[in-house]
Amino acid sequence: MTVLKTSLRNFFAHKGRMALSAVAVLLSVAFVSGTLVFTDTMNTTFDKLFATTASDVTVSPKTAGGSDETPQSGRPESLPASLVAQVGKVEGVQRAQGTVMSTSVTVVDTSNKNVGPTGGAPTIAFNWTPNVLRSVEIASGHEPRGPTEVVVDGATAEKHHLKIGDTLRTIAVTGDLTAKIVGTVDFKVTNPGSTLVYFDTATAQRELLGKEGLFTQISVDAKPGVTDDALKADVAAALGGGYKLQTAAEVADAGRASMAGFLDVMKYAMLGFAGIAFLVGIFLIVNTFSMLVAQRTREIGLMRAIGSSRKQVNRSVLVEALLLGLVGSVAGVAAGVGLAVGLMKLMSAVGMELSTRDLTVAWTTPVVGLALGVVVTVLAAYVPARRAGKVSPMAALRDAGTPADGKAGKVRGVLGIVLTAAGAAALVAASRAAEAGPGSLWLGLGVVLSLLGFVVVGPLLAGGVVRALGAVVLRIFGPVGRMAERNALRNPRRTGATAAALMIGLALVAGLSVVGSSMVASATEELDRSVGADFIVQSGTGQPIVPQAQAAVAKAAGLDHVTAYKWVDAKITDPRGKVSTADLAATDPTYVKDLRREVTAGTLTDAYGKDAMSVGSDYATEHGVKVGDVLTVAFKGGGTAKLKVAAITADTGQVDNGAMYTAIPTVTRHLPADRVPNSLLLLASAKDGQETPAYQALKDALAPYPQYKVSNQADYKEELQKQVGQLLNIVYGLLALAIVVAILGVVNTLALSVVERTREIGLMRAIGLSRRQLRRMIRLESVVIALFGALLGLGLGMGWGTAAQKLLALEGLGVLEIPWPTIVTVFIGSAFVGLFAALVPAFRAGRMNVLNAIASE
Amino acid sequence: MTSALTIPRHGGTGEGTAVAARARQVVKAYGSGETRVVALDSVDVDIARGRFTAIMGPSGSGKSTLMHCLAGLDTVTSGQIFLDETEITGLKDKKLTRLRRDRIGFIFQAFNLLPTLNAIENITLPMDIAGRKPDADWLRRVVDTVGLSERLGHRPNQLSGGQQQRVAVARALAARPEIIFGDEPTGNLDSRAGAEVLGFLRASVDELGQTIVMVTHDPVAASYADRVLYLADGRIVDEMERPTADAVLDRMKDFDARGRTS
Repeated sequence: MTVLKTSLRNFFAHKGRMALSAVAVLLSVAFVSGTLVFTDTMNTTFDKLFATTASDVTVSPKTAGGSDETPQSGRPESLPASLVAQVGKVEGVQRAQGTVMSTSVTVVDTSNKNVGPTGGAPTIAFNWTPNVLRSVEIASGHEPRGPTEVVVDGATAEKHHLKIGDTLRTIAVTGDLTAKIVGTVDFKVTNPGSTLVYFDTATAQRELLGKEGLFTQISVDAKPGVTDDALKADVAAALGGGYKLQTAAEVADAGRASMAGFLDVMKYAMLGFAGIAFLVGIFLIVNTFSMLVAQRTREIGLMRAIGSSRKQVNRSVLVEALLLGLVGSVAGVAAGVGLAVGLMKLMSAVGMELSTRDLTVAWTTPVVGLALGVVVTVLAAYVPARRAGKVSPMAALRDAGTPADGKAGKVRGVLGIVLTAAGAAALVAASRAAEAGPGSLWLGLGVVLSLLGFVVVGPLLAGGVVRALGAVVLRIFGPVGRMAERNALRNPRRTGATAAALMIGLALVAGLSVVGSSMVASATEELDRSVGADFIVQSGTGQPIVPQAQAAVAKAAGLDHVTAYKWVDAKITDPRGKVSTADLAATDPTYVKDLRREVTAGTLTDAYGKDAMSVGSDYATEHGVKVGDVLTVAFKGGGTAKLKVAAITADTGQVDNGAMYTAIPTVTRHLPADRVPNSLLLLASAKDGQETPAYQALKDALAPYPQYKVSNQADYKEELQKQVGQLLNIVYGLLALAIVVAILGVVNTLALSVVERTREIGLMRAIGLSRRQLRRMIRLESVVIALFGALLGLGLGMGWGTAAQKLLALEGLGVLEIPWPTIVTVFIGSAFVGLFAALVPAFRAGRMNVLNAIASE
Repeated sequence: MTSALTIPRHGGTGEGTAVAARARQVVKAYGSGETRVVALDSVDVDIARGRFTAIMGPSGSGKSTLMHCLAGLDTVTSGQIFLDETEITGLKDKKLTRLRRDRIGFIFQAFNLLPTLNAIENITLPMDIAGRKPDADWLRRVVDTVGLSERLGHRPNQLSGGQQQRVAVARALAARPEIIFGDEPTGNLDSRAGAEVLGFLRASVDELGQTIVMVTHDPVAASYADRVLYLADGRIVDEMERPTADAVLDRMKDFDARGRTS
């Protein structure tokens, strides 16, 4: 009982000194619980969406993909209209309605601006049926009646300032349809960002499927008392096995499954970053408790002298940690909900609408948050608590002065060096790996071991590195600089732990920036080496190019040639009868000029002959295929052809690895016209000297089709760099949490050091150190600690990045590029981080009353 | 003027007439109203230049407060304090700091040295902070006087308590301040080490002409001074020239007895 009382008193007496540790726990827990709340909310949103849109039973073509799959032909798989009547007659069916739905559309306003989302959520066109009213209600105007009328969802209308009477152009594979807005609909549940347009059934069939009398789905509703499963069984019995039947629950499950991948990646990535923040927070907590125990040595000695057992002392520290963990975690869980709401607002800024109506806090979220926060805090306090237990009763009698300065031990040195060496060996093994699988295991092992090694050996390095930094940075500040250096060195373990916290975040930043810039450098090099085309046309979302847009490109002035590139889904049987599925690359013969591929056998131009193709060297090796062999190719939705292998391409580099080329006529001969895929991308080259006008002509030609973008080589490289840069920025943003916690750690160490050195500061002030000099001394100490952490982190990170690049060279990441501007910026930036971290501690030290400081016991 | 005795303007021995520091009607009070505690009650005092002055008094008499105020470490409630001709009451922190750095030396009872600096670095610290070069000859003489030449590279935790205090004395002397204040400088030392340090202080007055003010409650320590001031209840109640330990002790007993009967 007294143990608890002492702990409580200590906790509240020193709450100021624990505040930063509590904030660190709070931040990490908030990130974890925020992630959980956010992803749960997204799940709820999609569950509700799928639940309201699906009818009791849905009938679709057997071959239909998921709702989010865009067919290469631009035409969804369809069912004959006669089937609707057939289903309607089945026992237990209340109503059967034919649905037309296509995601292969783009909707633009009169100024050729895409009103749909440009990433993530799709644009979907529907026919108007009573079934639509399950999930939406008419907000203004009326339903579409006739070929020139369209209804659009309210959120899109609002975002793009569309009113009833405005004109929308819908671009589909069959051509462009211009229609007037006659109404808007609002969702009954949250629509996370899709743009929806509705036409009357005949218009939808013509425009989306190419002819009337077809549907993509049949929505079946049961009579009262008939279960969905029973209805499904009845319909299946009536139709036979040629169709895909799903109950509402199955549609919802399929919908959830299609989102699960994306949501899980997001969830675990964010939790990973939260984990890093926790790891960094551990250093902060260890430091805090170590310092509190050191400062309380006499007090603990007194407790021991009057009869407290080691265990009691030990436990009293752990109870304090427990309290700290609880306070931090409770606040963290609450902050996490706030964070999730903030994240939802942020997502709406990038086009993903989530409503706080759907805010989902599962009971597991606070439990996980609290458990993590408390367990991590108590574990982190364990070593300091043990040290507290070891304080001898004699400590009460000794004049403590300042706590004994910690020394870095020999065991630590040996262990650290062994770990670091093992980590380095694993990294070397990773960079020399011949296969990606085991190589990435080595890489992971190397990263973990070298990180541990650096953490352990850090305090030993502190001496040398800080002195070296001191020689460069501190000497110019004279005696103040010298005292700052000595202060940073007086407790290497503390300096090491503080710097290590910063090191972790910065190592990841450095490592990823090396990989990112190597990625850009490798791709640029590859482009320069192998791409002959001047221009590339493609959509940002991977949607194939509709024929009318391709025709517009072909007509652009100043072009030497345009090469279409299509993907054809096919089953390939090798001469030995082994079957594999692949996407054949069906291109115009000019492709050999646009992309230079090395061949190991045959001639690539021959692959464009009648019923010929090429294969990649990996496939050739695996299937024992030689030039001249004949492969049996079954085109999905079409006929089967015997194609002769005319060339084998070398599978090196990043572009088109393993592609199997064939000519477009070879494909069209074996596929019905409405099954021929649209071009995934177009490559084009200008006539000599016409590069600039041709680029402009292409841009003009594509103006009515804003979903496609044309780039010349220079712009393409720039976009690539921008994309990688954006990706890195997101990762840096997530790492910022860990870095913020590390900065708190520097503030914490300095603040507690200032408290610990009260008498010293008083003495220095008494003998004439000015406030300004005192503040500078603390700032310089902070800067040196931060630079030490940055040096370790950047060194470690560049090692990781280099090993990763060598490993990824197997995947075509052949060029190592160290982004020196980033590295140098981070290094200099961390000096500012040091300055910033010292602001408050330095201010408080300056405010200290000289007399109190001298009198302080 | 409530002090029991009027302090002469110049030292009673007639040796030096100059005054290194003086206090005029200095009041130091804490709190207000009912809880007001007066630590210094209209104190007038002159500290003679080139002499060794000891301030004595029982606990709570205000002797440390007086020293802190004279040294510019603490502020006064009213009254004036001059260091030579500079009035230090009312100076801002910046000027006070510079004054302490350039014109005053300190020796505290304990924790006199920075643990991260070695002996010589501690000795030259005030000059380093000021960005001044120590006078090499003078520094050598000071170091020799306090007998530390062998130990200059040692850190404080490698020195005995007596050695540490000698380093502190050396630091106070090295910058040649106008006046050195000692706050029980031998309070933590055994009698032999204490005698050693006091010997150095005495010598620095005699040989180097240093002005020293020392707060102590040890009659033996006080006997090293030229003049002893007695403080009680925030007032100067007596003084003694050329004290001996026995005379000081007797006088202290008197005060104690008077304090009990009054």
